[in-house]
Amino acid sequence: MPNDSDRAVLLRRLLFVAGAAVLLAFPWLMPNSYFRYAGVLVLMYAALSTSWSLVGGFTGYVSLGHAAFFGIGAYATALGVIELRLPHVVALLGAALLTAVFAALVGIAAVRVRGASFVIVSIALVAMMNLIAQSARGLTGGSSGLRVPALLESLDRTSNHLVFFYLFLALLGVVLLTWWVIDRSRFGAGLKAIREDEDKAEALGVPTAAYKVFVFGLSAFFTALAGGLYGIWFGNLDPIFVFSIIVGANLVLMALLGGARHLLGPTLGAFIVVPAGEYFLIAFGETQAHIVASGLLLAIVVLFMPDGIIPAVRGLVRRFRPAATSIREQSQEELREVRR
Amino acid sequence: MTLPSASLLAQGLALGVLTGGLYALLSSGLTLYFGVMRIVMVAHPAFLFLAAYGTYFLHVTTGMDPLLTMFITAPVFFLLGIGIQRLLVARLAPESLATMSVLLTFALALLIEGGLGVVATGSYRSVTVDYASSSLRMFGVSFPVDRLIGFGIAAVTLAALFLLLRATRFGRALRATIQHRTAARLVGIDTERVTGIGFGLGLATAAIGGAVLALITTFFPAAHWGWIGKLMAIIVVGGLGSIQGAAIAALLLGVVEGVVLVTAGATPAALLFYLFLFATLLLRPQGLFGGRLAERF
Repeated sequence: MPNDSDRAVLLRRLLFVAGAAVLLAFPWLMPNSYFRYAGVLVLMYAALSTSWSLVGGFTGYVSLGHAAFFGIGAYATALGVIELRLPHVVALLGAALLTAVFAALVGIAAVRVRGASFVIVSIALVAMMNLIAQSARGLTGGSSGLRVPALLESLDRTSNHLVFFYLFLALLGVVLLTWWVIDRSRFGAGLKAIREDEDKAEALGVPTAAYKVFVFGLSAFFTALAGGLYGIWFGNLDPIFVFSIIVGANLVLMALLGGARHLLGPTLGAFIVVPAGEYFLIAFGETQAHIVASGLLLAIVVLFMPDGIIPAVRGLVRRFRPAATSIREQSQEELREVRR
Repeated sequence: MTLPSASLLAQGLALGVLTGGLYALLSSGLTLYFGVMRIVMVAHPAFLFLAAYGTYFLHVTTGMDPLLTMFITAPVFFLLGIGIQRLLVARLAPESLATMSVLLTFALALLIEGGLGVVATGSYRSVTVDYASSSLRMFGVSFPVDRLIGFGIAAVTLAALFLLLRATRFGRALRATIQHRTAARLVGIDTERVTGIGFGLGLATAAIGGAVLALITTFFPAAHWGWIGKLMAIIVVGGLGSIQGAAIAALLLGVVEGVVLVTAGATPAALLFYLFLFATLLLRPQGLFGGRLAERF
């Protein structure tokens, strides 16, 4: 007879396979252009939020400025295609590498400080990039926007959404895999040590500064990939949206809501926050009520469940499961089984 | 590039000093929060514009002089600050206070921005009164009256704050709490109460600053984002937690901004704050005047 933990593993695998199947089939189940668009948006934010949690989840350094890397990736990809006439893929990868290097350089200044100052730097980064993108009109088109050449000119909108659905799904898969590998590595253990007590981690020989700079760059790399894909998908870049501190805050909200310390936490958060945000946009249109909703949700999460939904639900399940057995009871049971 | 004329430089310098004074007032609130609670209050500029809107609506509906509105908004904001500290900030877990408080105050900023957007729409507002729209000419340099008034109010408020901190029993308790919370409690200071009042004082400075801003600039709900970077740069350059440091950094950055503004334009002037911020973190992370407090933030 399979015991509880075997059954749980089996259930989790079944859920995973079912979830993956639903995701893969989604664009075919939803031929409607708007729902496909919303699907792409959810996957993009899931990939972004998971990339964010490479820093925020493992090291506990909260960056409100990941929109800066998103935007640099987007503009660099677009400019690579437009100005340097590079193929899309080359421009995308080049832009992501460039952003990673830039992030590492910023990281050197940012990681010398902790907590609050780090957040200040991250906010400043977005504001600064926004200013630069607005004023460098010759290159970025400023506030009138930058048109990005499409991947395949012949695609209509609905099929374009289909292509980018799978591209973002692939990106999400790669980021999740990276997260999973880091979680099980010595590097990941070092990052978590930084989160728990940076001074002690350093005393124990963890190269904290190098680790922080590296993971910051890695996180920026994936964020920039998502930004570049976004630019090609959307076809138009506007500094106000691309370098938006609200976008950066939404990534944090998703990660915290789902659970920044869990593999699927940020994805879960994106699956909740993005549809909710779209609903608010539709229901309240052009008013600023969606900003109120974001603020309210963020405040509630920070005050009442800073560890996210996943641990909260786990706690609930544990409370209502009567058969919570201690190690000793379990081993006695096993012994009885053996005796029979 | 042609060299700017001496009179243009003098003009930039004069405007810079006047703006720097205002920056000093606005960043004093941030320094208070950081000092008493170790939190970076991202919502300070949002409260600034909440106060500016309060001034606007009081002025439009009752015809009250915009400078008198601060006698209404400042006490309201003071009580609001105590409430926010007691009901929200004090609930955060101490081990993750620094980052969680930023997120919480960020959420407050979103609530204020969105709320103002719903109530007052996103369009630009401004308060105009006859006496403030002229300017004085001295030594070939013109001083806009609204900026002079703003500088005067900033100077009076900062002087009052300084006196409160230096010369009163409460000020001693507040400074003690800022320096060493546990030791302050040991000598019988009710640090919780002092912290709440410190927070309230910070918000009261936002109310005063908001009235000044309403007088000298146009504003809209999302305008606070532009101020967050500026004020943060000032308190980092000054050294987190040091009121004098923030005031000196505010004047310094205001003057440099004023000169860059007349010689190179608005974008370089705005970028300058971030340049100072990054340079400070790279070269002297504790800021110009920061000591022990700033080390680990």
